[in-house]
Amino acid sequence: MSTATLDLILNDYHHVTANKTESLAAIKNTTLVITGGTGFVGTWLAGLIAFLNDHHAFNVNLILIGRNIEHFKMTRPHLAKRNDIQLLSSDIRYLAELPQETNWLIHAASNPDNRFHASSPMETMSIIANGTYSILRAIERCADFKMLLNLSSGLIYGSQPMTHPAIDEHYIGAPKCGTVSSAYAEAKRFAETLCHSSRSQARMPVITARPFAFIGPYQSLERPWAINHFIKDALSHKPIRVLGDGGTIRSYLYASDMAFWLLSILTRGQSGEIYNLGSDEAVTLKELAAMITALIDPAIEIQLSTASNQPKNSRFVPEITFAQNNLQLAVTTDLHHALKKTIAWNTL
Amino acid sequence: MNQLKVAILGSGNIGTDLLIKVTRSPYLQCNVFIGRNLASPGIMKARSLNVQTSADGIAYIVQHPACCEIVFDATSATAHQEHAPILKTLNKFVIDLTPAKIGILCVPVVNITDCLKQMNINMITCGGQAAVPIAHALAMTHHEIDYIETISNIASRSAGRATRLNIDEYIHTTEAALKSFTGAKITKAILNLNPAQPCIHMQTTVFAKVKNPQIEKLRHAVGAIAEQIQRYVPGYAIIVPPMIENDRIVVMVRVKGLGDYLPEYAGNLDIINCAALALAEAYAKTKLHPPQKEKAHEICFAQ
Amino acid sequence: MKSVLLSDPTLRDGNHAVSHLLTTEQIAAYCQAIDQTGMPIVEIGHGNGLGASSLQLGLSKTADFTALKVARDHLKKSKLGVHVIPGFATIEKNLKPAIDLGIDVVRVASHCSEADITEQHIKYARTAGKIVYGVLMMSHMVSPAVLVEEAIKMQSYGAEGIIFMDSAGHYLPEDITKRVTMLVQSLSISVGFHAHNNLGMAIANSIAAVAAGANMLDGCARGFGAGAGNAQLEVLVGVLKRMGYETGIDFYKLLDAADLAESAIIKEMPTISSASIVSGLSGVFSGFMKPVLRISKEFNVDSRDVFFELGKRKIVAGQEDIIIEVAHNLAKRNQTDIK
Repeated sequence: MSTATLDLILNDYHHVTANKTESLAAIKNTTLVITGGTGFVGTWLAGLIAFLNDHHAFNVNLILIGRNIEHFKMTRPHLAKRNDIQLLSSDIRYLAELPQETNWLIHAASNPDNRFHASSPMETMSIIANGTYSILRAIERCADFKMLLNLSSGLIYGSQPMTHPAIDEHYIGAPKCGTVSSAYAEAKRFAETLCHSSRSQARMPVITARPFAFIGPYQSLERPWAINHFIKDALSHKPIRVLGDGGTIRSYLYASDMAFWLLSILTRGQSGEIYNLGSDEAVTLKELAAMITALIDPAIEIQLSTASNQPKNSRFVPEITFAQNNLQLAVTTDLHHALKKTIAWNTL
Repeated sequence: MNQLKVAILGSGNIGTDLLIKVTRSPYLQCNVFIGRNLASPGIMKARSLNVQTSADGIAYIVQHPACCEIVFDATSATAHQEHAPILKTLNKFVIDLTPAKIGILCVPVVNITDCLKQMNINMITCGGQAAVPIAHALAMTHHEIDYIETISNIASRSAGRATRLNIDEYIHTTEAALKSFTGAKITKAILNLNPAQPCIHMQTTVFAKVKNPQIEKLRHAVGAIAEQIQRYVPGYAIIVPPMIENDRIVVMVRVKGLGDYLPEYAGNLDIINCAALALAEAYAKTKLHPPQKEKAHEICFAQ
Repeated sequence: MKSVLLSDPTLRDGNHAVSHLLTTEQIAAYCQAIDQTGMPIVEIGHGNGLGASSLQLGLSKTADFTALKVARDHLKKSKLGVHVIPGFATIEKNLKPAIDLGIDVVRVASHCSEADITEQHIKYARTAGKIVYGVLMMSHMVSPAVLVEEAIKMQSYGAEGIIFMDSAGHYLPEDITKRVTMLVQSLSISVGFHAHNNLGMAIANSIAAVAAGANMLDGCARGFGAGAGNAQLEVLVGVLKRMGYETGIDFYKLLDAADLAESAIIKEMPTISSASIVSGLSGVFSGFMKPVLRISKEFNVDSRDVFFELGKRKIVAGQEDIIIEVAHNLAKRNQTDIK
């Protein structure tokens, strides 16, 4: 990782925590475990903790649990080599024990890659279901455990009607049961209810975040989401191909906001609460493509499908006022700047 | 180093915590750790400590009778009812951590000598282990005890399903133990679960009504017995020494767990395991170094 | 016509106010009077229920069995009820004998976050054919969502109604409205409320409860109960009547029963003392009043400090022994401060 790329991200951490570091004070001098710690979410959280330790003497002991530790050591040496970050290799389903001194746990272990969900739905569901169960049983034996933050998914709401602008946490919807394409979402629903069961039966403090979509450095442009395709194609000066008429609606939260929100929910939220995690700035894919070409090269062509049988448009946008009001959280980087930074990072 | 072989039946939290204590003991060697599910966290822990494991239940001991001389049973009362006669035939020294209560009740600091003469010993309850020593000190310093009562306050998180389903049993067993160890006319046991965060440590109070309370004598006796208990339960502390309040003798004890496998706040579970270990070590010592003139009690509590 | 089922724990909660020293004569006299009023349920016993007579909470002057027998003899129309806390009462020693004696109603209570300890006792009483309610004590100590979850557990065990208690007299009416609304939405059984008056809110909270859909309320004659007392029963019935709720209670006869309670049973009329206000604000169990005052005096510490410390440590009902530890520690701290 070059200094420039690291500086860009360091700037992001400065920006998102400006005048707000004390709000995270509860995490000072404690031990935080992140499962799925070497993925996109884990990496951003690790960086935020490193930042808080370096610049604000937070003295957090961080443990990242993941399956691909070697890859993380190679690609993120600036984090892997730190004294305050420990790496543990483990398949979450068979994790029998957590360090007794664990105070907090962010459960981000799962693979949101829907290619994996399609080819290995059983594996997908098992990692989420059994992994969550193992973690829940393991935290019961920690001496002073304060909160488990379960990263669920905005997909648990099922498909969002085009006419429904933004889904709030009370929305009652569900993925279609009994179909393979629901494997990931159903597993996430199971995990959410399981976490609440742990709260009721084992008296463990548990809080839920339902992530929608994110963008930022460290996210591989190979990941199969439209926004990544668009950026990748535009950076190669290839035409951006938008499926359908470009009317599908999405929103994307910048990664530094995501990390800050997650730490805030973990340390300041109340056990049992559920928070949507995402941006409320909704755009159509057509608009998104235009925003990207404007940042890279306005001459890049945006191709919309002209076929007569268009795929149906979809919408995936959260209502985030609960987190905003309850925890005084804000989206500090709008989509334009999120794209700008992501593009910059990918070109450094 | 000469060590006595033990088997642990039951790979849940209690059994696994016991395993860690046994592996630390210079007198005991855990030869097999037996559960029902090879994928359980306890079995995985045992494997990580290079301890032989099995999911065959009591059948393993039947098939390999030389595997152990001591058996800790941390399964369930129902299971122990099944295990006890089998282990008797195999002539094993059985330490029963379930509520089955087939054998003699043991509070090491009070009656370990008697227990070593038996082959099935029950470890009573957490309240029993915490309160009986105090009640015993009371009985040693007073001729007649009209009434003894013990209240245990434990962290809600330390009370699992088994505890919650068996609270009545817990109360009856603890009351019976208090009576049998002290001869008190009436006994009462109370259990409070407190859900406060951070989790509270186990705190046990003993109240008593006696004619002519001898508080000074009682303080000495309680201090002495607490010191002895601390040798096998380091976290046992007298937080309110004997005094008289509202016409009743009161003594308050806090038990902080060792945090081996169970969290530190689960002193209620730890005290039973520590007591079980003390009993096992005492038995091992008599087998490995048969006493000539020393009494078993002194072996246990002398350094 | 909306109706409310009233339950009268004057001789149970009131026992707290007299250190559990109610006599058989007092029980007989009150039962005789209240039986005339059409009061649906009359609850008798030690302040903390069956089997709670102890050095921890105070020894009853009248043993459970005797008290229930006397009450049974004098209650022909009203149902005879008991309060049962697992951890204090056991089925074999306390609940079974009471059921065999002929009580009608069993209210099985736990701390608001520990409903699963009531499973065995609720099941036992249901199997014995009694009317069984679940009770959640010190309910201000959990969020409304958790309260609902715990209530659902009791419902699943067979409780026919859930009463949540303001054991510390801590709530304000809007707290009640929120909780009752959620309970009524989530349960298929009746919802009831038991008020305490530490912050002067007992009647208002009770009314807020019925307005939000609760249909069971507790009240005591002259408010005779732990701490600052309960919702004053005869006031409650009068107000409910005026608001158009049917209680089936003869109002004049109820006033007579309250007059009798005042003259024959109540030594000190319930009042909101300074200690009561502090205990209400700090969320400490109302039944701790007498022992806190007594022990604070003995250890020469400020009882208000003791209440706040108990509140900080989130001490629950039944943990009266902790009062001694807290006072003992405060006294030690004062001594070191002086040095």
